Amino acid sequence: MTRAQRGGTKFTALKPAPVPALEPAGAQRSGRTIGVGRVNLLLGVGILLAIALNLLTGRHPIEFSDLLAALGGQRVPGVSFMLWEDRLPQAAVGILAGAAFGASGAIFQRLLRNPLASPDVIGVGYGASAAAVAGMLFFGAQGIGLSLLAFAGALVVALVIYVIADSGKHTGARLILAGIAVAALLQGIIQYLLTRTDVRNASDALRWLTGSLSASTWERAGLLGCALVILLPLLMPAASRLRILELGDDTAAGLGLRVRGTRLGLIILGVALTAVATAVTGPLAFVSFLAGPLALRLCQGRSHLGAAALTGALLVTAATYLAGNVLPETPLPVGVVTGALGAPFLIWVLVRTNKEGT
Amino acid sequence: MALLQAEDLTLAYDGPSIVDELSLEIPAGEVTIIVGANGCGKSTLLRGLARLLKPAGGKVLLDGEDIHTRGAREVAKMLGLLPQTPTAPDGITVRELIGRGRYPHQGWFKRWSAQDEDAVERAMTLTSTVELAERAVDELSGGQRQRVWIAMALAQETELLLLDEPTTYLDVAHQLEVLDVISELNRSRGTTVVIVLHDLNLAARYADHLVALKHGKIVAAGHPSTVVTEELVKSVFGMPCRVIPDPVAGTPLVLPIGRHRVLRAESVLAANGIHRTRQPDAAIGEDTTSLLTAEELTTREPQIDTITATDTATGATPQSVEPLPVAEDSSLRRAEEISAMLAFSTRVLATEDLSANFKRVTLSGADLSHFGAGAHPLDLRIKLMIPPASAASSTAEPESVLGSDFAALRPGALLNSEDAGGWYKRWLALPTESRGDMRTYTVRALRPAGHRDNLGEHPEIDIDFVLHLQKLDGQLTGGPATVWAATAEVGDAMLVLGPNKALCDETYGGIEFRPGTAKRILLAGDETAAPAICSILESLPAGITGHALIEVPDTGDILGSSTRSGVGVQWLPRGSHPHGEMLAAAVRSIVAIPAAGAVVTGADPEDVDVDEQILWETTTESTQPFYAWLAGEASMIKEMRRYLVRNAGIDRKQVAFMGYWRRGKSEL
Repeated sequence: MTRAQRGGTKFTALKPAPVPALEPAGAQRSGRTIGVGRVNLLLGVGILLAIALNLLTGRHPIEFSDLLAALGGQRVPGVSFMLWEDRLPQAAVGILAGAAFGASGAIFQRLLRNPLASPDVIGVGYGASAAAVAGMLFFGAQGIGLSLLAFAGALVVALVIYVIADSGKHTGARLILAGIAVAALLQGIIQYLLTRTDVRNASDALRWLTGSLSASTWERAGLLGCALVILLPLLMPAASRLRILELGDDTAAGLGLRVRGTRLGLIILGVALTAVATAVTGPLAFVSFLAGPLALRLCQGRSHLGAAALTGALLVTAATYLAGNVLPETPLPVGVVTGALGAPFLIWVLVRTNKEGT
Repeated sequence: MALLQAEDLTLAYDGPSIVDELSLEIPAGEVTIIVGANGCGKSTLLRGLARLLKPAGGKVLLDGEDIHTRGAREVAKMLGLLPQTPTAPDGITVRELIGRGRYPHQGWFKRWSAQDEDAVERAMTLTSTVELAERAVDELSGGQRQRVWIAMALAQETELLLLDEPTTYLDVAHQLEVLDVISELNRSRGTTVVIVLHDLNLAARYADHLVALKHGKIVAAGHPSTVVTEELVKSVFGMPCRVIPDPVAGTPLVLPIGRHRVLRAESVLAANGIHRTRQPDAAIGEDTTSLLTAEELTTREPQIDTITATDTATGATPQSVEPLPVAEDSSLRRAEEISAMLAFSTRVLATEDLSANFKRVTLSGADLSHFGAGAHPLDLRIKLMIPPASAASSTAEPESVLGSDFAALRPGALLNSEDAGGWYKRWLALPTESRGDMRTYTVRALRPAGHRDNLGEHPEIDIDFVLHLQKLDGQLTGGPATVWAATAEVGDAMLVLGPNKALCDETYGGIEFRPGTAKRILLAGDETAAPAICSILESLPAGITGHALIEVPDTGDILGSSTRSGVGVQWLPRGSHPHGEMLAAAVRSIVAIPAAGAVVTGADPEDVDVDEQILWETTTESTQPFYAWLAGEASMIKEMRRYLVRNAGIDRKQVAFMGYWRRGKSEL
């Protein structure tokens, strides 16, 4: 050991711990965390507001006093049933599915370092849809069975795309193109399945494919809730690993992260989130795609999986309100609204990406 | 055992092997730089060393254990890696990015701690990124960004740091900035650094250990001054070039020769495979336009290896010593049996202008077969008895000028044992006009008779003189020694007082360079210390690292210095700066003042009035890992002593301070 090294250890050992210069930095750090926390709080409030708005001013509005009475457990004729058996399960499914979609989208976008790489754009969502439609049409699958089928379908597609894109080394255009090709193929399969089946079954499947909350029940909400109770806490370790992984594979490996294993784990987590939500609500177009980048904006450039999940939930609840009220005659499926919101955003991202040339 | 080493390492990405059965030891505490042409496998080797690539054969040992049997996180606590193009997430701040370097130290539940915060703070201080802390990484300049990435790797707090082309895409100023930070880190923390670099000149300048790779195999490894040669560059990069000493750093400088825009003579030589590389020492003063082919170099006879023709040398051989009549007095004995200090009668065998201010005088004589103190002269001091200007002839027998006192001190002479000491008093007692002057010099080289580079038949010593001279009214004015040296001609006589080989060994008092077990050394001095430093450098074994700083009057005074050790040599041409200023600054940058409270700094050393007494503070064999040797002008040395002892808190037992001379004062 040289003297310099000894000097170094001495330096470490004897350095006075609280240096005044640290204070503002520490404050800054906690200030940031509060920033994200505040955004999350606002998002939560937004979700509640959207639900309340939907209940009070949506189609078949409920009087405020009746709402309070019904929520308080009293039986208000015509209101209690609608509230407890239709609106609230619908809101619950909307929040849970939105959160799952949002988190899943953010995981994929950050893992692949590309805002276009959300599961619904690169075909993972279509994998879930195709498997689910096949299950519904041929085996009358529902509930957990449907979730598992959707998960299997999404995972297969995700792995296929991943392999095509050469083990994640080419996370740019190649992966997106592979995903779009797979998505087109799967859409063809779905169309084919629909034309081969009985018209009534096909119309059920078709409505499911547009993405809708109208068939929500407490049972489905509970199913989705159970899945998310397992999956959402995994976002914490996922986020800490994503933070390292996004520095580049070699840097991450240098920091002691097992890159391949971690990436596979993150893909499975993202696929699972998309799959359980898709199985219940159908593919809500573009929620995964929108939630991540919107959350990033709201948090001033800091990516946060929790904020993405909440943004997803807000998107779905707000879209529910819009879907029910935008046309006076007919309520629209939620997926139509999210799709209508997402398409322009997709175009904007493409234009911006082209400009940056990345 | 080296902290990191490769054993028969073969690396491949599903295909032909890129690194082929390579064995490499990374010297601990040093900067190792891996160079090679594009696609030679240097980055692959680095990835293999960093556990990013599983070997197809052989293994990488980290601290003696196969790196792949260790967990990723465990390795990450010992070894940091900065890949070539790391990606910074959008909008991330500097502090946050650096903080991510703490990942291996955090667990599932262990959150951000004060320890992490400290590590980040230290990393930022070392890389000067503190003021960038809250800025977004994407708005930084290339050099700043690279410093931030290095800080991230530093926050990991590992003993080893591996960097893959850290200077890519940076302009030259930023390249230096980045390499300086790494160098600083190596010095101040002792971190072992491995860098893959494509700029050969920067590699030669910053490496302690240079590894040249070609087709996945090591072609050469060692200190840059031994590795970077014209032949090597030709073989590794396939590019003809000239290698000259870098006038700024003293390290080898590669000047590439392309097909165009090159002086015609150079391209013709290059095309014919003729190299300009010269043997160290042999021909420093040689006319630089004379060219030696590689073939000539290996076949030349040793005796025509050097500047002066042999016929002049034979003419200068001193006459053999006339044995004095044997006296009956039993107290008379042969001088070499009883006196540790002998007088050696020598004659100038050759002179050589090393530069504008340095002149080498080679002294030879039969007496010198008794001269020496151990294997290498190091900074061995001798006394030159400069004959008085009034002496009848400069070629007269020198001992005759000084009388019998000194004749009796010659080897072979009979000496009364009582007279073995006290010669200095007797010399002082001589009349001033006839005794001449006595000056202390260090021996630059000692070549015993029969040495490959010997010019004559007797042993010879080289003494490098600094010529602080001015011409006034056609007369050379300056110190007596410099005037003597400036006008010395072959055949001139000189009486040298020096150690008796039979009675003196390495512990001889005239040698002050005693590093003991130190592995890291600092040599610093002005031009008067340059010969001693060069001599020490030549003797240093491999494995010693550190710095040699030599301040000289001008760029023309940069001398060739060769060393097998890992000591980096830096020549500091003074130009118009005051004497010692650049040296002091360089010493300060190498021995930084530790942060407040880090070490107990020493008390102010007691004052030495350099006008009154000699500042001479030396050490005995030290067991410390660090040793410093500073010599030169006394007031300059005094200032540096103050700095090292008081400000930097260095133990005085580790440093030899030697005021060789005092500006405006002469030695008596």
